Amino acid sequence: MVLEEAPPPFDAWFGSAFLFFLQSAALLGVLALAIGYVVAAFRYGPLGGGDVVYRRLKTALGDLFAMSPRRIMALSWLAVQESLRRRVLVGFAVFVLILLFAGWFLDTQSSDPATLYLSFVLTSTTYLVLLMALFLSAFSLPTDIKNHTIYTIVTKPVRPGEIVLGRILGFATVGTVLLALMGVISYVFVIRVLNHTHDVEVASLKAAPNDTTGTRIGRTAANQNHRHNVTLQPDGTGSTDVVQGHWHEVDEVVDGDETTYIVSAPRDLFNARVPAYATNLRFKDRTGKASTKGVNVGNEWTYRSFIEGATLASATWTFEDVTPERFPDGLPIEMTVRVFRSHKGNIEKGILGSLVLRNPRTGLTSAGINFEAKDGYIDSRNILPELTDPSGNRINLFDDLVDEGALELQLQCLDMEQYFGVAKPDLYLRARDASFALNFVKSYVGIWVQMLLVTSFGVMFSTFLSGAVAMMATLAALVLGFFTQFIYDVAVGTVEGGGPVESFVRLITQRNVTTELDPGLPRNVVNALDNVFMFFMQSVTSLLPDFRRFSDVDYVAYGFDIPLNLLGMQIVSALGYLIAMSAIGYFFLRTREVAR
Amino acid sequence: MSSESPEVIVETRNLSKVYRDFWGRQKVRALKALDLEIRRGEIFGLLGPNGSGKTTTIKLLLGLLFPTSGQALIFGRDATDVSKNERLGYLPEESYLYRFLNAEETLDFYGRLFDMPARVRKQRTAELIEMVGLEWAKRRQLKEYSKGMARRIGLAQALVNDPELILLDEPTSGLDPIGTREMKDLILKLKAQGKTVIMCSHLLADVQDVCDRIAILHQGELKELGRVDSLLKLRDETEIRVKGLSAAGQAEIRDVIERHHASVLTMDNPTTTLEELFLSIVRDSEARPGRRAKQES
Repeated sequence: MVLEEAPPPFDAWFGSAFLFFLQSAALLGVLALAIGYVVAAFRYGPLGGGDVVYRRLKTALGDLFAMSPRRIMALSWLAVQESLRRRVLVGFAVFVLILLFAGWFLDTQSSDPATLYLSFVLTSTTYLVLLMALFLSAFSLPTDIKNHTIYTIVTKPVRPGEIVLGRILGFATVGTVLLALMGVISYVFVIRVLNHTHDVEVASLKAAPNDTTGTRIGRTAANQNHRHNVTLQPDGTGSTDVVQGHWHEVDEVVDGDETTYIVSAPRDLFNARVPAYATNLRFKDRTGKASTKGVNVGNEWTYRSFIEGATLASATWTFEDVTPERFPDGLPIEMTVRVFRSHKGNIEKGILGSLVLRNPRTGLTSAGINFEAKDGYIDSRNILPELTDPSGNRINLFDDLVDEGALELQLQCLDMEQYFGVAKPDLYLRARDASFALNFVKSYVGIWVQMLLVTSFGVMFSTFLSGAVAMMATLAALVLGFFTQFIYDVAVGTVEGGGPVESFVRLITQRNVTTELDPGLPRNVVNALDNVFMFFMQSVTSLLPDFRRFSDVDYVAYGFDIPLNLLGMQIVSALGYLIAMSAIGYFFLRTREVAR
Repeated sequence: MSSESPEVIVETRNLSKVYRDFWGRQKVRALKALDLEIRRGEIFGLLGPNGSGKTTTIKLLLGLLFPTSGQALIFGRDATDVSKNERLGYLPEESYLYRFLNAEETLDFYGRLFDMPARVRKQRTAELIEMVGLEWAKRRQLKEYSKGMARRIGLAQALVNDPELILLDEPTSGLDPIGTREMKDLILKLKAQGKTVIMCSHLLADVQDVCDRIAILHQGELKELGRVDSLLKLRDETEIRVKGLSAAGQAEIRDVIERHHASVLTMDNPTTTLEELFLSIVRDSEARPGRRAKQES
């Protein structure tokens, strides 16, 4: 799984995030005050304008303390009733229909069906729930204003903030119930569809070659578009190999003359790995000199660096806190490497690599552990505590290779003119496994957070825009939120081709992005305009939520536990946006004539 | 009378409203410098043809619109102050209610907006439903209600907080004659309870029947303001209604009037109003079901 940026510890993040929230709130508050004063001064004169702004602020403070949970709950309840009236359950019916026909378009021959099915159910749930949140939140208040039903609300002692918050909470409640239902159905769907067993083809069982202990090998019958090879021990227990990301236990049961083979349900099909990542990854180039990164093989995406085969180039991960208490049965390593072939070679065979364990202080290394790497596959292996050094002497993992909990793992590619591409999260210690069901729930919490964000934005926009325009504005925030990083990169000038105006000029003059624009006044004007745009873009991207960071689908689909600190960050961020959107919505609604 | 006086419930000072378009250009001058004082316990009528500024005045008093200039004070507070709504009830021109709720849910919901505890809401809901005569339809969604029923539940929601001041926009609109009479009786009952009522209507008979004072607006300007009885009194005419007077008696009275140099305009048997006739027929019909109407003599 790609993890471009590991989530920081919650404590460290919260401090800086809260400070940023306060700074943004203060900055926006001052800006809003200034704009408010200018508008009020234009209407009521400099003194009158100041008085209006002062009274608005005083009223806002009074309204804040006069907010009543009972009124908010009543308005939430109304939002729930309204959602039901607006046939929100149709969205749920569509979801059930999609699941019913999912088998038609999902590839059951996939090499990793669990990832495919989990991605599918989580992504479809996300889109459906976000769409539902978008429609409900954007159209509710404008419809109330259009139908004048708002008259009977605002002529009661209801504060505008209660209307905004009540609606957000009401739609969030509807979304929560829908998500809970979808979650249960999705879970049952995935488990039931992928759960299977096999028959052992008895005729295929034969003694293992070069084995004198009585071990037998054979294969299972095909089921769900795959079959397994079986290895049976002399005592009748056994297991299959790993195919499509899972394996089965096999038991031979002898009852008189009759022998049956019981193949278990799939094992390791649904995982929630808790990885212990390295604290550091460093490289050596082909001459063995230390380097901050490896070779770029032409990929624009610089997430992974490549090391050249059959040279001194290597990638070395440093792990901390490697103790026998934590890993009593050895070191469970999982590794994913991207393979870049500069020539085809034997395409059926993987590229040879070697992994060496190294003491960071003494430099003592283990003998190389050779393996065949296939592009993008997770290679799991357990390194036992008893090892040998390159000379064949017995050494102990924890006594000889680990220094105060620190251990280095060095990867090399052994095939000439072939390359391995790695990033820091590509090699980790599988510290333990968390509950898959709980991880599934956590992923739904992630979707819930996104739903809350969309609802907050939708309701906020609907306090001053008509329904259709509010929906478009929310959609724009959503789309911008998904491309925040790119827009930010354009805004800070790290993307070639300049800002929006320069890009437009290049487009119509058909210049490529690497050539400089002709010096002179036109270029200066373009740059000046771009500076204004880029400042605006930078501000917007700093304030908008980065929606990609709120998605936990990949974690569950690829079998990784969603870290609690990540979930905590997502929830706290969403609550921050909820507060901000409620405050903005309050001021827009407070200054709006609802009867116009 | 100053705004601090406890007797004045509603006061407008030079209240004006100009509707503008998106670009700030003046479209309509809906209300021009309205000065009003409405005192506790009176029924005040706002009269005027369509577009005269009645509804704009009500909306300004409720804070649904903001004045272009001038001030509207309710209970001595600015009309945009939400806290004034604690003591206020409003029946809009149309019953703008949530049609997917039933009567009980509607009143319970509005009760919650007044932060009323569940026990009080339950009791108040039952009382109001009984008062507006909708017990038989209290579990039906409002979308199934007739216009008259919707008006009744609209009135009930306006009274859910037992308000001191009630604003009624066209309260008898959509009601049949019985409903109209009941509404007028209810307004008088509210006055008897010491409540202040402001109603706007273009049905003059309704206003005449219940209002203590009226303001007549036309094209956004206040044209007339005063007590109904004094405004309607024709000071230079005298009406004599007598029962059982013979022709000789009538001739004698005519002689008396002529001796005082006055002229008789009409002297005839008075007629009742159509509303009165209709109500007496309905009451008679309810008392003696199946009785046919008398032949015209």
